[in-house]
Amino acid sequence: MLAKLIKHETRATSRIFIPLYGALLILTVFTKLVMAIGAPDFFSEAVSNNKVAEIILGISFTLYFVLVVAICVMTLVMIIQRFYKNLFTDEGYLMFSLPVKTWELVCSKLVVGLIWSAVCTIMIFLTFFIFSLGNFSMMELTQAIRSAYSMFYLQTGMELNFFIFEMIIFLLVETVASILMIYAAIAIGQLFNQHRIVAAFGAYIVITIALQIIMSIFMTVFAIGNLENSVLNGSDAITTINWLLNSSTVLNVVMGVGFYYTTLTIMKKRLNLE
Amino acid sequence: MTILSTKNLTKSYGKKTALSQINLEISRGRIIGLLGPNGSGKSTFIKIAAGLLVPTAGEIIIDGQPPGVDTKAKVSYLSERTYLNDWMRVSEIIAFFEDFYTDFNRIKAENMLKDLNINPDDRLKTMSKGTKEKVQLILVMSRQAELYLLDEPIGGVDPAARDYILNTIITNYKEEASVIISTHLIADVEQILDDIIFINQGELALSSSVDEIRETHNKSVDGLFREVFKC
Repeated sequence: MLAKLIKHETRATSRIFIPLYGALLILTVFTKLVMAIGAPDFFSEAVSNNKVAEIILGISFTLYFVLVVAICVMTLVMIIQRFYKNLFTDEGYLMFSLPVKTWELVCSKLVVGLIWSAVCTIMIFLTFFIFSLGNFSMMELTQAIRSAYSMFYLQTGMELNFFIFEMIIFLLVETVASILMIYAAIAIGQLFNQHRIVAAFGAYIVITIALQIIMSIFMTVFAIGNLENSVLNGSDAITTINWLLNSSTVLNVVMGVGFYYTTLTIMKKRLNLE
Repeated sequence: MTILSTKNLTKSYGKKTALSQINLEISRGRIIGLLGPNGSGKSTFIKIAAGLLVPTAGEIIIDGQPPGVDTKAKVSYLSERTYLNDWMRVSEIIAFFEDFYTDFNRIKAENMLKDLNINPDDRLKTMSKGTKEKVQLILVMSRQAELYLLDEPIGGVDPAARDYILNTIITNYKEEASVIISTHLIADVEQILDDIIFINQGELALSSSVDEIRETHNKSVDGLFREVFKC
């Protein structure tokens, strides 16, 4: 049933995102073409003779910027809105009478939210890639990457791949935890009889403040001393950064689990649709 | 054979008690009217049976199990709210039901849509509230469920559609299935009911068969209701 929920959730969200990403790609390709034909030196200091191309590029880069911001905001709005509207307003009457487990409802929203967050990141990199086509050679790029790897190893004594892997795990866990935090805040808002949206915002703020306090205690107790000692020394610095990164990952896992079970318990035991 | 039974079923929201110590046995193959004034606890009862609310105390058993994934698969619930996504077409919501409910009968749904002149390609956004309610009822009645829970099924539709809907209800359920209809429009549903349950302020006021009422009280259900719930 989880797969079916994910399928329908994807269907419900892609009708918004596919046109947005389609527009982004068309705009990117169009901009790139105008740049390639009319103003190859757009990014350099040299004054171009082609005023028309410059104006068009000015407009399309502004549009591009607006669209990227809109897509990022939309992704966040979608994560909030699909969870709140689909589960806790009138639509919840349908969703909660489906023969599915509560955790499947939560996970279907979470998985699809994650997918769109990933798509957002990938698509933005893809547009960067399209913009920079022709401005670099593949060989130079590979060389640059290779030298970055050896530089990193020389300075830190650590494989860059491993560091990147840790970074990706951290980002993934961090994203999951922050989505679950939104879910938990929405679920807590449902415990109130009135003004549930306001209560959800309130819950989110309270959780944020509580986490800030916990984090600063955590930092003072464990990290600061180490940081001061090792900030000047290359290989020690990376150990500290590494340690900070991994402990943040662990902390995010703990928080994520906490938010997940808070959400689930409220939905199972205290569900009270308006 | 019992399809639904409750033991001291109680639900309170904070200090307010919505249902208090309800003991009920509902047999298979019956159409039951769950009757009571506004705010008497009808919707709360139905929501608990549908698995949308957790009781505060007592228990409710549907076909041998407490409400959960298994009972939801055999209970067809019509909520008082219009719960359909506005952006969907009727055909899409049919596909949705077909995907999640193994007992959903697409042909039945399509025939009923045709009877009520609803185009499956229309988006729900463009429909009136009454039409949406009809679509919802068609979806719910197109399932071959063991128990139908209909919360105010005829509240928002015109009298002509009301007759069609009631007719749909009585002709569409399996012989061993039961239908619980909550409503305060008693006169309209009276002719199709086998049993009635009166609840008032969260308490069970009366549970009886319609024949019994006619014999012992010498009154129609509507008449008895007006007497019991006289303001």
